[in-house]
Amino acid sequence: MDKRTNEEWIADLRAGGEQQAKALEDLRAIILRGLPYAIAGRLDPNSPESEALAEEVVQETLMRVLEYLDTFEGRSQFTTWAHKIAVRAALTELRRRRWREVPLPEMEMNEDGDSSYRELPDDQASPEDQVDRKDMLKRVNRIIMEELTDKQRKALMATMEGFPLEEAAQRLGMNRNALYKLMHDARLRLKKRLEKEGLTPQEVLSVFEQAGK
Amino acid sequence: MKFKQIFQRLFGSNKQKPVSPQNGTQADKSEKMQKMLMMLSNTKDVELTCDEVFALLDQFVELAAQGEDVAQLMPLVKHHLDMCEDCRDEYKVLESIVQNVA
Ligand SMILES: [Zn+2]
Repeated sequence: MDKRTNEEWIADLRAGGEQQAKALEDLRAIILRGLPYAIAGRLDPNSPESEALAEEVVQETLMRVLEYLDTFEGRSQFTTWAHKIAVRAALTELRRRRWREVPLPEMEMNEDGDSSYRELPDDQASPEDQVDRKDMLKRVNRIIMEELTDKQRKALMATMEGFPLEEAAQRLGMNRNALYKLMHDARLRLKKRLEKEGLTPQEVLSVFEQAGK
Repeated sequence: MKFKQIFQRLFGSNKQKPVSPQNGTQADKSEKMQKMLMMLSNTKDVELTCDEVFALLDQFVELAAQGEDVAQLMPLVKHHLDMCEDCRDEYKVLESIVQNVA
């Protein structure tokens, strides 16, 4: 039965023996009911691959639940907390499978700032507007080259390509949390540098807005 | 903010699909630029990290499911979810589990 209170879950899972085994069995069933929501849209839910993944994730989740039991603060239902751990484990594995064949993108911008961004749709733009736009792109690219570290630029490219943070982090030899911090720092630097040059991100965009008229 | 309109004008009205992970490596170059400028304009001096958000996510999801104004109650978590696709994906899945399984 899964109608335990939070306190009962904790007590049972700490108990050892039969009592713990029963709680783990119940928790396992609860997690398996949640996992299809993580898998849906990412793998065929009826495939053997999905079944194997669910089994793998539920094992890992039960282990982590026991390992981190002391960190549960009772701010939510215990089962929500357990589902959270399962979702993280499942999506981590699903991301890994989806992206493992995809190489981290190389930097496309050269020193000149005359980068890949120049191929913007410009059917309506006048020649002057196109020049404005090109200048602005050059400027932004130059700022990226000057302000960011190599790692930050690589990570920026990767996330712009749609790479999950976690996957990009792993390729760069760091964890997701550290990469978020690194990227936050990168964003702050770029924003401050734009400000220093008298620009806001909105203004950069507005150049293109005018160009489109 | 009226970024939506700006983007539509800038990048053509025939494709207004949001930037999504499914675009993957096909994300075209202008989309990258637009995504980056969006991220920059939404950058705050203080942001929570993925681990900090993970620690609060179960609570956040339950409050949201109860109809609480989570953007008001936990604005930093909300902001991180707007900025971070990995955490947002996890949030959405957990939300559907809480709504359907719990
Ligand atoms: Zn995150």
